[in-house]
Amino acid sequence: MNGSLPALTPGLLLAGAVTAAAVSLWLLLPRGAENRLARWLGLVLGAVALAGFIAAGRRLGSLGEEAVFLTVALVAVVSGAATIVTRSPVYSAIWFALSLAGVAGVLLVLGAQFLGVATIVVYAGAILVMFLFVLMLAQPSGLAPYDRVSNEPLLSAVAGAVLLGLLSLSIGRLSADASCCAAPTRAAAVTGPAQPSVPAEPVGDDPLAVDQVARLGGELFGRHLLAVEVAGVLLLAALIGAIAVVTRGEAALEQDRRLAAGGGNR
Amino acid sequence: MQSLSPATLLVLVPLLPLAGAVLTLLLGRLLGSRAHLPAIAGIAAAAAVAVTLLLGTSNQVGSAHGPHAEPVRPVEMITTLWQWASVQDAYVPPEGSAAALPGTAVSSAGGAARAFTIPVALRLDPLTATLLAIITCIGLVVAVYSVGYMHHDPGYPRFFAVFSLFVFSMSMLVAASNFLVVYVFWEAVGACSYLLIGFWFTKPEAARAAKKAFLVNRVGDFGLAIATFLLWMTYGTLDFHDTLSPDGTILPGILGQTRLADAGGIVGGAVGTAICLCLLLAACGKSAQLPLHVWLPDAMEGPTPASALIHAATMVTAGIYLVARSAPLFMACPDALAAVSIVGATTALVAGLIATVQNDLKRVLAYSTISQLGYMFASLGTGTLLGFTAAIFHLVTHAFFKALLFLGAGSVMHSMGGVIDMRRFGGLRRIMPITAATFLVGSLALAGVAPFSGFFSKDEILATLHAKGWPNAHGEHHDAAPASHASLPLPLGEGRGEGAPATRLASLTRSPVAASAAVLDTPETFRVLFWMSLVTAGLTAFYTFRAVFMTFTGPTRVPEEAGHHAHESPPVMALPLIILAVPSAIAGWWLFNSQWLAHFLTATPSFSAPAVTATAVPHAFHMDLAIQGTLAAAIGIVIAAIGHLGRRSDGPQMERFLGPLQTFFANRCYIDQLYAGLIVRPLEGLALVAALFDRFVIDGLVNGVARLPAALGGVVRRLQTGLLQRYALAGVMGVLAIVFVLAWRLRG
Amino acid sequence: MMPLLAAGSTALLHNALLVGAILFALGLVGILTRRNLIVMFLSAELMLQGISVSLVAWSRYHGDWGGHVLVIFVLTVAACEAAVALVFVLQAFSRTGRLDAAAWQALREATLSRSVDHALPESDAVPPRWPRLARAGVLPSADEDAALEREHV
Repeated sequence: MNGSLPALTPGLLLAGAVTAAAVSLWLLLPRGAENRLARWLGLVLGAVALAGFIAAGRRLGSLGEEAVFLTVALVAVVSGAATIVTRSPVYSAIWFALSLAGVAGVLLVLGAQFLGVATIVVYAGAILVMFLFVLMLAQPSGLAPYDRVSNEPLLSAVAGAVLLGLLSLSIGRLSADASCCAAPTRAAAVTGPAQPSVPAEPVGDDPLAVDQVARLGGELFGRHLLAVEVAGVLLLAALIGAIAVVTRGEAALEQDRRLAAGGGNR
Repeated sequence: MQSLSPATLLVLVPLLPLAGAVLTLLLGRLLGSRAHLPAIAGIAAAAAVAVTLLLGTSNQVGSAHGPHAEPVRPVEMITTLWQWASVQDAYVPPEGSAAALPGTAVSSAGGAARAFTIPVALRLDPLTATLLAIITCIGLVVAVYSVGYMHHDPGYPRFFAVFSLFVFSMSMLVAASNFLVVYVFWEAVGACSYLLIGFWFTKPEAARAAKKAFLVNRVGDFGLAIATFLLWMTYGTLDFHDTLSPDGTILPGILGQTRLADAGGIVGGAVGTAICLCLLLAACGKSAQLPLHVWLPDAMEGPTPASALIHAATMVTAGIYLVARSAPLFMACPDALAAVSIVGATTALVAGLIATVQNDLKRVLAYSTISQLGYMFASLGTGTLLGFTAAIFHLVTHAFFKALLFLGAGSVMHSMGGVIDMRRFGGLRRIMPITAATFLVGSLALAGVAPFSGFFSKDEILATLHAKGWPNAHGEHHDAAPASHASLPLPLGEGRGEGAPATRLASLTRSPVAASAAVLDTPETFRVLFWMSLVTAGLTAFYTFRAVFMTFTGPTRVPEEAGHHAHESPPVMALPLIILAVPSAIAGWWLFNSQWLAHFLTATPSFSAPAVTATAVPHAFHMDLAIQGTLAAAIGIVIAAIGHLGRRSDGPQMERFLGPLQTFFANRCYIDQLYAGLIVRPLEGLALVAALFDRFVIDGLVNGVARLPAALGGVVRRLQTGLLQRYALAGVMGVLAIVFVLAWRLRG
Repeated sequence: MMPLLAAGSTALLHNALLVGAILFALGLVGILTRRNLIVMFLSAELMLQGISVSLVAWSRYHGDWGGHVLVIFVLTVAACEAAVALVFVLQAFSRTGRLDAAAWQALREATLSRSVDHALPESDAVPPRWPRLARAGVLPSADEDAALEREHV
């Protein structure tokens, strides 16, 4: 698949990969009755699509880099696909956790250590746990009928394919035309008055690696102070709002139950 | 009134009834039972003015007596009210056509282009004066009668308004001096007739009869319209009279003295015949001749005074007037003249036959009217001066006695509570002596019994027909014709063969302008027509007296609808009967002896054309024809008496005697059914098709267009499922479309 | 295959952007397709992950903090959103008894009828076999089998 067609242009490769991905998604999405053949075919096509995407990607500097990036990227993508394809929502949440791990890995490869860890902590630690709590409260035993069907799988897969095709083609054109993108500027020239103690020139290959958290903090509370404060208010508002809705919602529910006098919605 | 000029008086004659009509329309509700006052005042004043005009014109014409009376000069007076239409340079007459100005220089305004002008002009000449007097005087009498007849009718003001309007329209028709203005009032009298026939429009028969009258008249009006167009194309003008153009040249009118004096002024041939036949069609429509006579019997659904005025005395005579006025045009086309006579005599005979079996008194009188009008047409079609004047003479006497008969029938109907079927009443002379006496006078006049008026006028008609049929028979009675025009050596009919003067009467009876041999205008034709007319005279007497005997003789029977009405009419109705009985009795004798009318009418420009005056014969009383006529009438009366006098007055004599023929005539020779099948049903079918087309195709199209948005909405509405993810999908696809377009634009 | 480009940020940018795009597209498909409200939200979070990766990739390429800062805020907002949204999910569950996005159809056109799912074969609805844990602690006196069989997770 990789070297069999030397005349394969990147565009065509991407188009092929996208198409394969769309078809595999369509096959894998829950569409009513369980179909072994569809599952297997979807998996095979998914693998084909992944191979295509890998082929369409750029080669990184060293093999080690390449291997690491490929690993974490694959974990993220495959887990992501599994999230949306799995019938059981609990499994879906677990796959999502795995995808988070993959994404954190990608972020680490990109040199954003703080963000990678923050992703794990916030998402997997807090948000995902909340989801699981809700599932615990609300999910019926076994698979509900609405878990076994999808809403317009074909059209959605097509939409996803179109989006992905556009995005990947744009990305391809973007990086092929090196002149369109300016060389990476010095961090010092852009960041402005952050930390005067930071040395002016980059260190090594990763200009953001040194004092990352400190510098990120300085950036946040320096240039983006207002946004940080607003985000804090937003968190507070969300907190209050959630509580308010819950309490009012319960009162309304009580009223409903009294009115229904026996017949309920449950 | 002497201080007023004749022009003003002429304008007053139609204007006063118009004012009466307008006042009645405005104040009718207020006046209530006195709503007749404005109308009667207007018509009475108009009658007075018309009589004044008649006397004045008569003075102008001069006396007729004496064998050395000077030749009559035409008398006419034109007064133009206003220019209705005027278009400059509308018409360029072809070189040498009759429309080109004869004998005068071409207009110096450059080119021979003429303007299209329609002046609303009124004329006063003997023919018009006679008819105006008849219309207004008989109108007045009938209006007075209507005061009693329509007394309790809720539409009392409406009746008098339309009545006055009719008198106005008819006066304008006979006084107009332009073919287009005549057309306007031709339609106007038709409209008034419609309004009066359908006066009781809530009765379906009346509404249907009014519609039928209007539609049949429309066919005739079509003829008049075509004739008007052809006249314009041929003559370049529609005026009767000569007019003066701004630069001093005379524009000859169609019947103007300039044109009539010119030998080649009137166009003959195919175009001329076409014009005359179209005019004949119009006359047939209005005067109820075959085949357009079907509306008149049904028109009896209207009130009897309306029938008396319109369908006996005035409106139906509009056709006679039109042909008489267009005499010079007809004289140029002998075949058209013969066609007029043939139509007239045939109608007279057929109508007479149908009248013999009618049981409805008004229907008898209606067919009698058709028959007498046929007589007038037969007389007009002979194309002699005697023929024309005899027709007008008969028109005048017929107006009197037919109006009298209709009013008498109305009187009978009024007292019989609306019943007019003669089989249901009898012996009414004991209950209604005045009505009976006047009705008898009218019947004697109608039957043509000497010395009543109808006898003389009918005698003159028979005389002119006889003269055309046997041209040599009266050769010794005539003077040598003035040789002012070439007489063509034409084959003569077999006549008596006695030694005749060099100028034969035959050559005098032909128009000097016609160069082609006439097909219909042969003595053989007129012989047949003469015998038909004689038989019709007998029939007339028969059915008239059949009606008289059935109604007034025999045992007295009154239908129960009469209730307590069965008595003589009130004076307001009886007086007009008496007033009309007088001229019915003596007018004929007086006019015949004094020759006042004939002499008076020769001063009409139409009749003073050389073509017409060439056919003049001296006045004479033809004893042989008188005897023939009287014999026919006597036979008719005797047969009627055998069948219906006295005790036999209610028996079904006609059914027994005629058998199947009776059914044929009682169904009016099935002409109505023929029209229904040939014309009415297809038209109704067409109307149905049009209605269906309108309802399904056009309305369907409109409704379909209206339903289109709803349908489209219904399709689009399916998108609103309420399902969140479908909405999100739609949104995403929209966004992707936009992004795709942007990416497409930015590629390369 | 692709010739080796000059080592630099462009290749890593390209790849990372590709990963971000794939994650985003997967998340989109998930939102549009799955009817379970929880899975829908998970897919939304997946989209946000993709966006985070793209932002950080750009930030690294340009060598500035903008992307990082935005990702911090994305994180914050995602947390708020999750909290509030899950409250609503619970409210929705209370009213309808299920976590079905298609349960709410009251805003449809008045002339349309409610869309219902086709009946599905029961064989699929076999509840998954949950892992059996080894017994621990004192055995309660209740029915053992009933204690081991769990209805809910």
